[in-house]
Amino acid sequence: MNNPQPIDVQWAWAPYQPSAKAPWDLRRVGHLYRRAAFGANWDELQSGLRKNPQQCLDELLQGGPDGPDWPESIGKGNVGPQIPAWWLKRCLETRNPLREKLAIFWHNHFATSDAKVNNAGYMLGMIKLLQRHALGNFAELLQEISLDPAMMVWLDTNTSKKGMPNENYARELMELFSLGIGHYTEQDIREAARAFTGYEIKNGRGLLNAAQHDDTAKSLLGKTGRFKAEDIVNLCLDQKCCAEYIALRLFRFFISESLTPEPQLIQPLADEFRNSGYNIRQLVERMLRSNLFFSDHAIRTRVKSPVDYAVGIIRALEGNVSALALAGALEGLGQRLGYPPSVKGWDGGQAWLNGQTLLFRQNLALALSSTEDDRFKSRTDPARLVRKHRHDSGEQPVQFYLQLFLQDDVPAGTRERLTDYLAKARQQTPPVYWTAEQSADHPLRAVCHLVLTLPEFQLD
Amino acid sequence: MFNRRDFLKSTGLVAWGALAPGYLTKTACAAGNSYGPGGKDTILVMLQLTGGNDGLNTVIPYGDPLYAKYRPTIKIGKDQIKKVDDHVGLHPALDGFARLLEQQALCIVQGVGYPNPSQSHFRSMDIWQAASMAETLTEGWIGKALKQNAAPAFHLAGANEPAPLALAGAPMRAPSVTSLNDFQLKLAAATGGESKMQKAIIEGAAKANENAPEMLEFVKKTAINTYESSKRLQEIGKNYQPKVPYPQSALGNRFKLAAQLIDADLGARVYYLSIDGFDTHSGQGGVNGAHANLLREVGDAVAAFYQDMAQRGHGERVMIATFSEFGRRAKENGSRGTDHGSGAPMFLIGGRVKAGLVGAHPSLEKLEAGNLKHAIDFRSVYAGILESWLGVQATDVLGGTYEKATILKG
Repeated sequence: MNNPQPIDVQWAWAPYQPSAKAPWDLRRVGHLYRRAAFGANWDELQSGLRKNPQQCLDELLQGGPDGPDWPESIGKGNVGPQIPAWWLKRCLETRNPLREKLAIFWHNHFATSDAKVNNAGYMLGMIKLLQRHALGNFAELLQEISLDPAMMVWLDTNTSKKGMPNENYARELMELFSLGIGHYTEQDIREAARAFTGYEIKNGRGLLNAAQHDDTAKSLLGKTGRFKAEDIVNLCLDQKCCAEYIALRLFRFFISESLTPEPQLIQPLADEFRNSGYNIRQLVERMLRSNLFFSDHAIRTRVKSPVDYAVGIIRALEGNVSALALAGALEGLGQRLGYPPSVKGWDGGQAWLNGQTLLFRQNLALALSSTEDDRFKSRTDPARLVRKHRHDSGEQPVQFYLQLFLQDDVPAGTRERLTDYLAKARQQTPPVYWTAEQSADHPLRAVCHLVLTLPEFQLD
Repeated sequence: MFNRRDFLKSTGLVAWGALAPGYLTKTACAAGNSYGPGGKDTILVMLQLTGGNDGLNTVIPYGDPLYAKYRPTIKIGKDQIKKVDDHVGLHPALDGFARLLEQQALCIVQGVGYPNPSQSHFRSMDIWQAASMAETLTEGWIGKALKQNAAPAFHLAGANEPAPLALAGAPMRAPSVTSLNDFQLKLAAATGGESKMQKAIIEGAAKANENAPEMLEFVKKTAINTYESSKRLQEIGKNYQPKVPYPQSALGNRFKLAAQLIDADLGARVYYLSIDGFDTHSGQGGVNGAHANLLREVGDAVAAFYQDMAQRGHGERVMIATFSEFGRRAKENGSRGTDHGSGAPMFLIGGRVKAGLVGAHPSLEKLEAGNLKHAIDFRSVYAGILESWLGVQATDVLGGTYEKATILKG
């Protein structure tokens, strides 16, 4: 919360070049893949280290093929509960992780829940819109989302009529989607709400029904006119604070949740974002390539979201689990994609971890590493992984898991305790009914589980 | 039966001296103190109605013709209302509350709010939870109260529900719990000895480190509190037999868990629960429908909880207090719902609350930008709860002096 020394703005956003003080090491490779992807597996870490940061970033920004397409049956059968599972499947399998991550970022930004929309087809339409614009243009995204059918149901635009406007969308458009609290008045909301009257969903699209639209003049944000929905969105985009607000949201997502940036740190990014006509890719690229991104101000200064936490474990274990089972588990951790708790989305940061969710995380780590859980079985097996990479003898497994999951970023004492534990676990007499293979694999899986329970592993 | 001292012992605050960081041991000493007037062993159960409860369709001024005029499609007919006096009455779905009133265990504080009310859900909820208008809010009013009188607190959470700001700042982080079964750390070990080694590593890694960065320190603090609470919660009886049936609802289940924890005598002074869904911009319904269902879930769960507690001899120890971040617009909108408003009622339930109405219903004539004007500042109600119920000095918690609302029987 408190920043003892102001950060040099010039330095912060200048492109990162490895140096003796900030070398291109395993720690930074891991950090980049956690933030711009869903974490790195063993081979990605090793090859990342051999490349330079620019090459890694080029590849991540370029991206490969997306995960599996959304099946049409979800929309046709209106099976909303398959949305979180299918979205996780895409996260687990995508070769274009940055785009998927940003789609989830926008899902959180324009948080809409099927709990109210109750139309999986509309929800999928919106999610595809978010994926299409994930690294695209924010102005276009904001225009399209305003008349997106899922959004129109979610925030009641579809029932707002001339003479009796519903303020729900107008308020959240300004408060959460574009300006942030303090940059508009209650009167602005009431005026904007009149402009959003008369929009209806026809054939799966938001269309104006002039008969129900309030066509009279509205005065807001210093302008007066016979505004329609599109004009209100443009008025919001014209506000200087809009670019600042979005840049700040992305700062929290890519740089830090514990650092409250001074306005002057955000300003150059906001100016660029605005001058580029709201080019998201350019803004994201500027952040990811920066000195600040690769500094201690950023590394492990966020709490992993449940999706990042679980998908990160499974990708690192090179496993393949039932996405439906995983979606069920993530509900306990507090994140059900397609069903955010409110229009504000998930609070994120420290709010991810309370007593119950921490225990659910630790128990999920056990389920994914012990192979005995009925939900996941042996489709993620740390013992198989450590053998595959030939790090299964002596103390090697401890080193392997610590590098894979934490890039060695733990106190020396922790490493010693784990090494000691592995030795003792191997010496103990296993239950008589265990096979030789079980007895040999158990200590490898157990030490992996312990690595996943370390406090450092909760951090992104 | 465990008492508070046992709780502290079993949570390892005594036995775990080596591991427990300073803030925990300090708490252990403070909890031994006796509480201020009216405060000894009392329990506060906060119930948050998330989304902005429509106060006007909750405590209804049926005697005022403007009520029906403002609400052509969602009004409640006079004959359906559970009358409190000849001017106001309760929504028929609040049958549970009406019965509590007959038992002299329901206090209705009318027209509660604050000046220049925010109509943002999130800002206004933060203001209510922090009892502060400061721009950045990091501590809650209950968290601050627990600094004065340290005692455990629990957040009984639904799925998808983070810990509330209201509890932030407490010396021991209040754990969120969804169910006792789920509130345990699972391990896979070949032998008892191995299981002990695993626990030692997991708990040892959560040990505080003075040089740890802020985020890591936060994770460790959460972890250490969680592991300790979990051990204690695993020791209490699994099979709680309520004295009265609880409604089959998510909120009913959480209230039953609260009763179970209170009856286990863990020494906790505060329980925090919430129910979401009150943001009724469209299709709110009248006698039946979305809003009625929510009120029924609240009324039935609270009534069952209070009867259960009363039959176990805790009726005079517990107080349930409800609040919402704001009320709703006096006139309904074109979607047969209501937009964000301001002043609204709070309910206080318990054997010692002043039964009946406190304050007058806000005028339907003198609206403020279409909203009901508040007459009682919510911090006055908090001051009453803090001083008369929890025995905590209110001025420090509220950052100012507010006239203490009279909420207890004389």
